[in-house]
Parts: sequence; structure tokens; C-alpha cells
Amino acid sequence: MKLEIDNVSKTYRGNVAALRSFRLELGPGVLGLLGPNGAGKSTLMRILATITQPSAGRVLWNGTDIKHDPDALRTVLGYLPQDFGIYPNLSAVEFLEYLAAVKGLGAASARKRIGELLEVVNLADAARRPLGGFSGGMRQRVGIAQALLNDPQLLIVDEPTAGLDPEERVRFRNLLSELAGERIVILSTHIVSDVEAVATDIALIAQGQLVVHGVPEALLAGVNGKVWEVVVPSGELPALRQEHLVSSTAHRNDGVHARVVAGVAPRPDARALEPSLEDAYLATLAAHRHRAAAEAAV
Amino acid sequence: MSALPVVYAIARADFLERVRRYSYLVTLLFAVYLGYAAGTGRISLRLGDYRGLYTSAWIGAMVSLVTTTFVSLVGFYIVKNAIDRDRQTRVGEILAGTPLTKVSYLLGKFLSNFAVLVSMVAVLALAAVAMQLLAAEDRTFHARGLLLPFLVLTLPAMAITAAMALLFETFRFLRGGFGNVLWFFLWAFSIGLPGLTGLPQLDPSGLWIVYQSMVPAARAGIPGYVDSFSLTIADKSVRVATGFHWNGVDWTPEVVASRLAWTAVAFALVLCGAWFFDRFDPARSRRKSGAKPRSEGVATQAGVAPELPTVRAPIATSIHLTPLASGAGHSGSSRLLAAELRLALKGYRWWWYAVAGGLLIAQFAAPLDISRGPLLAVAWLWPILVWSALGTRETRFGTEQLLFSCARILPRQFPAAWIAGILVAALTGLGAAVRLALAGQSAGLWAWAAGALFIPSLALALGVWSGTSKFFEGLYTALWYVGPLNRVPGLDFTGSASGPQAVRYALLYLAVAAILVGAAFFRRARQLRGT
Repeated sequence: MKLEIDNVSKTYRGNVAALRSFRLELGPGVLGLLGPNGAGKSTLMRILATITQPSAGRVLWNGTDIKHDPDALRTVLGYLPQDFGIYPNLSAVEFLEYLAAVKGLGAASARKRIGELLEVVNLADAARRPLGGFSGGMRQRVGIAQALLNDPQLLIVDEPTAGLDPEERVRFRNLLSELAGERIVILSTHIVSDVEAVATDIALIAQGQLVVHGVPEALLAGVNGKVWEVVVPSGELPALRQEHLVSSTAHRNDGVHARVVAGVAPRPDARALEPSLEDAYLATLAAHRHRAAAEAAV
Repeated sequence: MSALPVVYAIARADFLERVRRYSYLVTLLFAVYLGYAAGTGRISLRLGDYRGLYTSAWIGAMVSLVTTTFVSLVGFYIVKNAIDRDRQTRVGEILAGTPLTKVSYLLGKFLSNFAVLVSMVAVLALAAVAMQLLAAEDRTFHARGLLLPFLVLTLPAMAITAAMALLFETFRFLRGGFGNVLWFFLWAFSIGLPGLTGLPQLDPSGLWIVYQSMVPAARAGIPGYVDSFSLTIADKSVRVATGFHWNGVDWTPEVVASRLAWTAVAFALVLCGAWFFDRFDPARSRRKSGAKPRSEGVATQAGVAPELPTVRAPIATSIHLTPLASGAGHSGSSRLLAAELRLALKGYRWWWYAVAGGLLIAQFAAPLDISRGPLLAVAWLWPILVWSALGTRETRFGTEQLLFSCARILPRQFPAAWIAGILVAALTGLGAAVRLALAGQSAGLWAWAAGALFIPSLALALGVWSGTSKFFEGLYTALWYVGPLNRVPGLDFTGSASGPQAVRYALLYLAVAAILVGAAFFRRARQLRGT
């Protein structure tokens, strides 16, 4: 089972480049695709889901170019788009039955699968109610269920935890972890903690380019010994932000506790901290922007 | 803060958003086509078998009436999305959180509607000028005579159309397909209102004003003239009445005042709409809306029923999903067809099914001519909203990405949706088909079958190409009105008015249906290929 993204670029009208020569090769596991808003994550997801075609490059599923044979991928694809709708007059069961029929599932296996999925996404009690009355989070869970209908080998989920409450987010993370086994899961998000919880691999994308791809440990290793906590009066915080990358702050009685990513201790009283994935993400992104700005200046 | 800048800002933003869409270009092209049709005599103003010489007054009156008549019909469908767009884009909810008043909001939207319609009128006014110069039947150009009919007759009619479109949007039950169908009948009724009531004041289109001015001149100048006055889609050239001299409408203060009164009615309609407008408050919409959520599925859509309490259960520690049997993903198409049929018929109230059932029973019980004539006609208008969802449902509810990422959509889901539409036609018109079969009228049966195939094919093609149900709802209602209801042979797709030509017309409709389905298939294939 292999998904190859080979030099894929996508340029929209007006010469807006959403992806630039993007390369990635994936095997079974959970890939956390991280990137800021507008980085090109959703464009990449849509290309992988055969919704959009790349302007250049190709995507190969087990060696087959999905541009020429999209059904080779579609038959084994589960896709949860970032933005999707539902048919408000259908119940959750009816909507899933409809999509199961579209996906070509047999009646008996579809019925069993739908029942199990509604349990998994915690909607069994609301299964017969019209979707039009569902909250945003409940709709999102219906979306998750439909993506799993055909037991997909490639599961693409674009911002799947948007709209879910913390409890449902944990439930979804557990679900993804359990599903990971012998399939490729691509989890696109800008919520680092979601990736931290489930990803076996991380790819960081910015300005349409792949910045880094590797295991989380490798990303963390890049900021090892570079994360510090400093305590400053709140009035000095803007100056600290000007000088250093501040990944988080917390107001306490003794001042603002700032988490700083820096090559050397920003102040003599700085305390070294264990790096988090968020620190690594922000540091890598900042370095990429710095490099891009320098290249643009040249 | 003064309301005027707010109204202007709303109108400007809405107008700019509209004119920067591709569909606006299509709108202007429609206006250009109307101008072309009038200029080449395809649409003409006739006094019996005659028309007037192409003077500024005649051309001004004729093109302004063409504009008033056709743009008020089609323009309604074009502009009836001002509030809906704010619902779909969720801009409405942002606006609802500001001090913006309902009156200011609706006045802004009304002005934007009006501006779009006026831009079409402007194109047609230019076409009128060009028509006189090119036809060169009368080289004396009177700007006043040519343009005043547009100003005095057409603009108030456009104001009424703009206001009615907005008013329809403020009522939940008129927002959708029912409103689109109703508008056609309302439009047809309003055209004939002065004649029906004998009250020339009840003339929003201004047609009657031209009639009252032109007919006495025709009586005096055309031998044997008997008050015939019509705007027709002419199939042959019309003779010029040489003895007929008409200098245009006498724009008396009474005439101008009556048109100003209609403009005032338009503003009154807007204010009436403001009274009923829900200001994007979902709690004031009783039933659910299916519009897709735009922002990451977080909030409910305006118009959605109050949320259900969130169902909670302890966080699962272990998840069990039975692996699918091998071969899953290759099941037959009958389940998909059943699913499409259920999707098509779901969501209607009990009385909708009761009426459809009643019409079906009546087809069995009534004499054959009634059964296959008016009863079949009504039975095939009743499910118009079922058909108008064909090809547009995915766009309307935002399910394209879910569907289009599935395998074999084109060979499976597309035909299933189409066949579901055919089944709806077959089921609702079954009584007439059985009666025709029992009577051994094979030609009638051919015509019936052609109609049953033609309707969903038209719906699917227009839906897939336009992405909206409005085109089908407007066009089909007009076609139904002219064909099955007024029994115009050739346009009666049920075949009841076709007489001995039934098989010929049936074959024609079958061919058209095939072309329409082919066009829809081609477009859907392109959509599936992505961009």
C-alpha cells in the first residue's frame, strides 16, 4: 500500500500558487499534515481525494496515476472534507445508507457497518432524527462516519475536529489511533495537539511547499535544548516577542511566564524546558519564513 | 447614524458581488438576445396582422413592452437570491449582529435588485436605438419618443419585480421552488389583470397604457382592425400598416402619476417584506434548512430548527468495526436507485403525497380525454420540485465532495438519479398511461412515454449546467403553461394536444431528451474530472 505525491503543483486562476512541487511518499500509518491557514493543506487534500486535478505532477496510488484512473483510489478512499453538507430531510441512518449505496456497499454489510459506525461516533441515539436538526458537532460526526463506510485503505480527514467539543475530540483521536493499523490516514489540521496525539509521521507544509517530513521525534529533536521559560513583567512582553519566538504565555502573580524558543538562553534566569511539538512546529515554521524572506531578498 | 449611507453600502456590496459573477454576463446576454429578437422581428408588437412603421415612438413602445414583459418574468428568477446569498455565505448572521435595521437592509437589497434589472433595461434601450438606425424605416430619431417608454413604463415594472423577488425571499414558503412556480402564474395574471377586471389602473406592466393609446389610432388607420393588440413570437413577417400613424403615448400627468404610484407600491412591498423578514434568526424559521454550513461545520445554518441536545456517552476505550466482506463496493445499482428515489421523495408533507395520490386515482376514474389531458398535465406539474432538485441537490446541500470522491459516480449515481426522476413521472402519470394502454392508443402511449422521459431529462440538464433549480422551475412552468395547459401542439409534451402528429412529436421529444441527458452527462463528467 503506497501513496506517492510526485512533484505536484496547483495554480489557481490569477496565477495563485497553492502547491509548489510537492513531493511525499506514504505507507501505512497516520500522517499529521500541519500548516498555517492558507498553506495549501486543503488543496492537497482535494487533489488526493480526486476532487481537484493538479496543474502539474502526479499522484500514484499503488503505482496507478489517479488522474487517469481515479476509481482505483476512490473505491478504497474515505474522505472527510473540511466543508461538507448533508441532506437535512434524511436521518443519519438514511444519509449513511444513501452514501453506502453510492459507494457500492451491499445491503447487509452496509446495515451492519452503519450501526457500528453510529455507535463509534456516538450518534446511535440520534440515528433516526432528521439531520437538519443536528448541531455542527453532530454533523461533523456524521461526516466522520461516512468517511469510514467502505473500510477505506486511504482515509483523508481535513480539519476533522473542527466543531467537536473536547470530549468528542478525544473520542475521535482514539478512533484514528485504532484505525491506523494497515491503512494510510492523512490528518490535515492546524491543531498541533491533535497531531501530537495520533500521528506516526508529520509533514509540515507552508506556502504550498513541503517544509519537513519525518517522525515526530525528529521534529522535536530540532528544538531540543532550545525551549526556555522566562518570567517577565507584562510590560516587557512585547519586547520579548520582538526578540524571540514566544510559543505561549501565562499570566501569574510574579509576572508573565513566557515559553521561548531560542538557540541560547534568552535571559540569565531562563529555565530550560522539555520541548513540545507545538514549539517544534512554530520554530520550523519561523525558520522557513526566515529562509523564504532571505531568498526573496536575494 | 443616517440610514442612507447604510442602504447605499448594502446595495453597492450586493450589486458588486452580483456583477462580478459569471452568471451576470449570462444575464446581459439574455438581454442582448431579447434585443436581437425584437430587432429581427422574432418578437413583435402586432395590431392584428399589422405592425407600425419603425419610428422612434413605435420602437420605443415595442422594445419597452418586450422588456417589461420578459425581463419582469425572467428577471425575477435572476434577482431572487439577494437574501439567500447572505444566508448561504453566512454574511447574514454577521449583519444580524450589527445595528442594521430590517428596513435599511431590505431597501439596500431592493436597490441592488433594481440596479441589476435596470442594467438589462439599459442594454435593451441601446438595442432599440440600434434597431431604428439599422432598420432605417424612419430616419427621424426622437430620443424622447424612444426612451420615455423605458423610463415611464419599464422602470416602475422593474421596481415591482425587484420588490416582489425580495418579498418572496422574506417568506419561508415562497423562498424555494414553490415561489418560483407561483411567480409565473402571478406574472401571467398581472399581465391580463386590467382586461380581467376592467380597471386600467391595475396595470403594473404598463401594457394597458400603450394599448389605450395605440388602439384608437389603429382603428382610425387600419381598415378592418378589431382591437387586436399582442406581443407575439412571430413565425412569419408582419405587414406594415401604411395608413397607421401613431406618435407615441401621450405622457399626461395622470399616466406619469399612475406609474409613480406603482413605484410607490414597490417600496410598500419592500416595507411589507421588512415586517416579515426573520433577520436571519433561525428560531423564526419553523422548519429546517438544508444549506450547508460554511465555516468548518461549527454553527447551525440560519433557518435550521433548534439544535437537538447533544447525545453523550462515555469515551470509548475500544472501537469495534467489522471488516467488510470481500467484494464490497461492487453491489448492484437497484439499491442506489431506491436510495435516489427515497432522497427525491423525502421531506414532503403528507398532503403533498395525498394530492399526488388523488391525481393518480382521478386519472384512472376520469374519461380518457380528461385523464390524459388536464389531469395528466396537473399530475406532471405537481412534482416539479422533485425534478428541479435533479442535478442541483449536490450543489444546494454541499455534498459534492462527499459524492464526487466516490467511485463510479458517472455510470451508477448519475443514471440512478435520472431514472428516479423518470419513475416519479411514470408513477404520477400512471393512470393516464394505463388508460391509454387499455384503449389501445399506442400513439398516445408513445407520447406519454416521451413526456415522462423528457421532463427529468430537462431538469437534469438544466440543473447540472446551471447548478440551480430556478431555471428548470421557471422554464418548465412556462412550457407547461403554453403546452399542456393551453394545448399548443408541439409544445404539449404530454402529447394530448398533438392529434395525428403524436408519434412525430413523441420522437422529437425523445430525441431532445437524449440530447439533454447527453449534455448533462458531459457536464457531470467534466465536474468529476475536477479543474
